[in-house]
Amino acid sequence: MNVSHLVAAAGLTILMAGPAMAARDYISIVGSSTVYPFSTVVAEQYGKSSGAKTPKIESTGTGGGFKLFCGGVGVDHPDISNASRAIKESEMKTCADNGVKEIVEVKIGYDGIVLANAKAAPEFKVSRKDIFLALAKEVPDPKDPAKLIANPYKTWKEVNAELPDSKIEVLGPPPTSGTRDAFVELVMEVGAEKIDSLKAMKKADAKAFAKVFQTVREDGAYVEAGENDNLIVQKLQANPKAMGIFGFSFLDQNADVIKGSVIDGKGPSYDAIADGSYPVSRPLFFYVKKAHVEVIPGIKGFLAEFTNDKAWGKDGYLADKGLIAMPDAERKKVAESVANLTPMAMK
Amino acid sequence: MTEQTFPLYGGKAASLQERLGDASPQERKTVGTPFVDDPRMTCREVDVFYGGKQAISKVSIDIGRNQVLAMIGPSGCGKSTFLRCLNRMNDTVGACRVEGEIRLDGINIYDPTVDVVPLRARVGMVFQKPNPFPKSIYDNVAYGPRIHGLTKDKNELDEIVETSLHKAGLWEEVKDRLREPGTGLSGGQQQRLCIARAIAVSPEVILMDEPCSALDPIATAKVEELIAELRTQYSIVIVTHAMQQASRVSQRTAYFHLGDLIEVGPTERIFTNPRHKLTEDYITGRFG
Amino acid sequence: MNDNGTQTAMNARPDLLAPASDLKRRYRTDKWFQRIGLGAIALSLAFIALLFFHIVREGHSAFVRTNIMLDIDFAEKHFVKENLAAADYTALVKHALTETFPEVVDRRDKRQLFSLLSSGAAYQLREMVLANPRLIGTRQQVWLPADDDVDMLQKGKIDRDLPEENRRINDRQLSWLDTLASQGRLETQFNTAFFTGGDSREPELAGVLGAVKGTMLTLVITLMLSFPVGVAAAIYLEEFAPQNRWTDLIEVNINNLAAVPSIIFGLLGLAVFINFFGLPRSTPIVGGLVLALLTLPTIIIAGRAALKSVPPSIREAALGIGASKMQTVVHHVLPLALPGMLTGTIIGMAHALGETAPLLMIGMVAFIADVPGSIGDPAAVLPVQIYLWADSPERGFTEKTSAAIIILLAFLMTMNSLAIYLRKRFEIKW
Ligand SMILES: Nc1ncnc2c1ncn2[C@@H]1O[C@H](COP(=O)(O)OP(=O)(O)OP(=O)(O)O)[C@@H](O)[C@H]1O
Ligand SMILES: [Mg+2]
Repeated sequence: MNVSHLVAAAGLTILMAGPAMAARDYISIVGSSTVYPFSTVVAEQYGKSSGAKTPKIESTGTGGGFKLFCGGVGVDHPDISNASRAIKESEMKTCADNGVKEIVEVKIGYDGIVLANAKAAPEFKVSRKDIFLALAKEVPDPKDPAKLIANPYKTWKEVNAELPDSKIEVLGPPPTSGTRDAFVELVMEVGAEKIDSLKAMKKADAKAFAKVFQTVREDGAYVEAGENDNLIVQKLQANPKAMGIFGFSFLDQNADVIKGSVIDGKGPSYDAIADGSYPVSRPLFFYVKKAHVEVIPGIKGFLAEFTNDKAWGKDGYLADKGLIAMPDAERKKVAESVANLTPMAMK
Repeated sequence: MTEQTFPLYGGKAASLQERLGDASPQERKTVGTPFVDDPRMTCREVDVFYGGKQAISKVSIDIGRNQVLAMIGPSGCGKSTFLRCLNRMNDTVGACRVEGEIRLDGINIYDPTVDVVPLRARVGMVFQKPNPFPKSIYDNVAYGPRIHGLTKDKNELDEIVETSLHKAGLWEEVKDRLREPGTGLSGGQQQRLCIARAIAVSPEVILMDEPCSALDPIATAKVEELIAELRTQYSIVIVTHAMQQASRVSQRTAYFHLGDLIEVGPTERIFTNPRHKLTEDYITGRFG
Repeated sequence: MNDNGTQTAMNARPDLLAPASDLKRRYRTDKWFQRIGLGAIALSLAFIALLFFHIVREGHSAFVRTNIMLDIDFAEKHFVKENLAAADYTALVKHALTETFPEVVDRRDKRQLFSLLSSGAAYQLREMVLANPRLIGTRQQVWLPADDDVDMLQKGKIDRDLPEENRRINDRQLSWLDTLASQGRLETQFNTAFFTGGDSREPELAGVLGAVKGTMLTLVITLMLSFPVGVAAAIYLEEFAPQNRWTDLIEVNINNLAAVPSIIFGLLGLAVFINFFGLPRSTPIVGGLVLALLTLPTIIIAGRAALKSVPPSIREAALGIGASKMQTVVHHVLPLALPGMLTGTIIGMAHALGETAPLLMIGMVAFIADVPGSIGDPAAVLPVQIYLWADSPERGFTEKTSAAIIILLAFLMTMNSLAIYLRKRFEIKW
């Protein structure tokens, strides 16, 4: 046992590591956890079929992804950022400030957010207004709609007499998740607008209105189940009374044990989401740093793989993973702009 | 040996009375013959402090060549402390501070330019509890010569190990198992191994702190025999609680009391005719 | 002892044949204490057994995989291009399937038929041809991986008695599979791909090799940095540092560091190694550095405890014959403290082995399909792999998750056995 040998070995390692990191010969992708399952499949297919290195994909969340993506140009910064919403103006500005001037936006398809329960439980037919009333922290007082009170509803029947007389118990994503953002925007906000007193409030005080639909109740009726959607699926099986909120791909993969609720008259099927009739769906994107395309090997190949019909088409392998394809015309348009690497207009 | 007149501080003669009497006559007085002609080591007005507490005060004594000096005294009086000053083992105790002057062959060992490593090679030490290294018997003895680079080759080292074990009277018992661990020996053998280890670097002075306290009478007798033999080549300082042992092995005896050196003299005289009341009380067993 | 004392001692002398009641009580307390201790051990053993049972029950099926045997015709017409790798191997698979089921003609039905096989089947054929071009022009019986849904069905994780619309395998597919099975063309076989493959989004192709190699590379970096640095720090603090306010402060801080949440080390790693030194994200070198920081306090504390336990008499013995401070430490103290230090190090490494939180910050929680070759390649580690698989929607990843946990536990046990072996090996008998 010789201490000096060990020290020398450690020093040597650090020296050896030096040259290995000069350049980067693989694509680095960050961003949304909703896009992650699709992006990874394309990456793997691309890596296997081209023989090039498989892109590395981090699931950082949409906002976290843009933070890294907009950090600058160069091998230290990611080439592509996945997003479950369009890039915000403020994020574009950060990008531009850090020298990321040309960004290619690629819309890849749609994702539906479902409210599901165990196969054994009765089917739910709800409106977004019902969901808002069941989950918001403060709702208008039924006696005096101008006044807000702490959510008094214990059962679905109290919310809407047509619904079953079971306890409100919803498992859903935490505020850090992109699914939660989309759920708040597509369900809670729309649901709140359906209530006259709140609609009036929106006109008078948009901020107060935002606070009402964004704040989810904390009295146990809504349970934050963590980022792991599989856990929600398992809990739903164990507890047929409970409902869960998660992405369509989890429903798609577990259709034998859980089922999606009908929202505003439409059930969450592939077709209903694709044609836009299922109300709770959102587009998914990824963004490419144009300056990297010529520098990092493989970006063009990856883009070609992604925008190929055998990937993102109606019968493509991404559809198997739960991605809802765009209509043919829209796909064609996006594929064209990707092939030409048309950057977004920067504001 | 001349009583009460001796060369002091490089030849300047002064009486002990004169030199020690000035501060506090009653306590400071060391009676007997603390100094010898042609000493190996000289200690002058040594004070030792542990933090703020004084453990040794104004001790002056010589260590002669080829003789055994026994240090006796009640527990806690500072014998070990003083002994450990002689090869600067006290350096390892953070709170310990040594003042005064200790010379080995004329060189002040507390001089900042003095290196403790060669000092400890010249002033070896044997501890109260046998503490062989958990290595083979051979390696225990060979360790000192190795680190000091005393040998050129393996043969020479073998020879040193053998002679040291011979001198320590252990050779016959261990010559067939030199590669076995030193910790596997009996207590008495271990202590003789430690002595062999100390003499393998050919020290000039050997310090022994109660070397027999953990040994049975037979092992003790062996070590005592050994000390008697070693005296022909080395200066030895031994701390002991056994009056018998002091009288058997030593030529001079020093009696310490509460950090003071009370009386020094030829062993025979100390035990037959102690001059100081405290010495007499201790020897005759009137102390605990 | 005076007379009085002797007297009282005599009176209080306990009766050996009829022990006093307080003695009985003492024994009772002893007994209870032992029972509580035994109970605690039994309970923890029961929990461990339950954990193992559960994980092995869930995970053992991942070590086998459903394969389908097809008669592949490596006809030369498929290999007209110069580049063998670019040939259309999917066509080979499809051709073989249509041959086996000539009655399937409808385009929609064919699609369902082809989906019985994994997308990895074509890549497997490509590997075969590239390794042995002489296959071209021959006809071979080849076992190819089935799709994960087939695998799940075969392992009983999809209930075939459910109504058709609730199954990911429809009735037509079921009947094809039954035909294949009756011909002996459908079997569950040992899943080598699980041990030789990197991560994949297809459960039937996913393997742990990438994560295992990533773990090893990361831990090697961690060990090479934290062991020497930790041991040196422990030695300095224990043997050389003066006792003063500064060393007290350092000691308190090291103890605090040991209790800092691990994600903080990830943030530190991100700021220092990636943003400042520009080391690449998601690589074992950065992971190893971060985990080294994480394990250092553990190693230093264990190292100091080990040094403290070395009897001072050994130090005195060495110093007494003129060894320098450094010689004393290196020749005598360190060998005696080494077993303890190794134990501490392995505990620290085992701790590092289970971490994901700090790795999240430095980008090691990522989809990385290629098996890393060096410390500069992107890599995942086992706990990250477990986390990623647990979060995947495909049913097939459930068993993979448990199987990866089994691998992680095996890793841990190997490390602990190594620790015991090293301790025995370096232990110095007194
Ligand atoms: N490391 C230390 N720190 C503080 N005080 C100490 C230390 N070592 C010894 N002392 C004190 O110094 C005094 C002398 O101690 P020393 O060990 O020299 O006594 P001793 O004569 O050898 O006793 P014993 O016969 O019991 O070995 C005692 O009062 C003791 O408490
Ligand atoms: Mg003592």
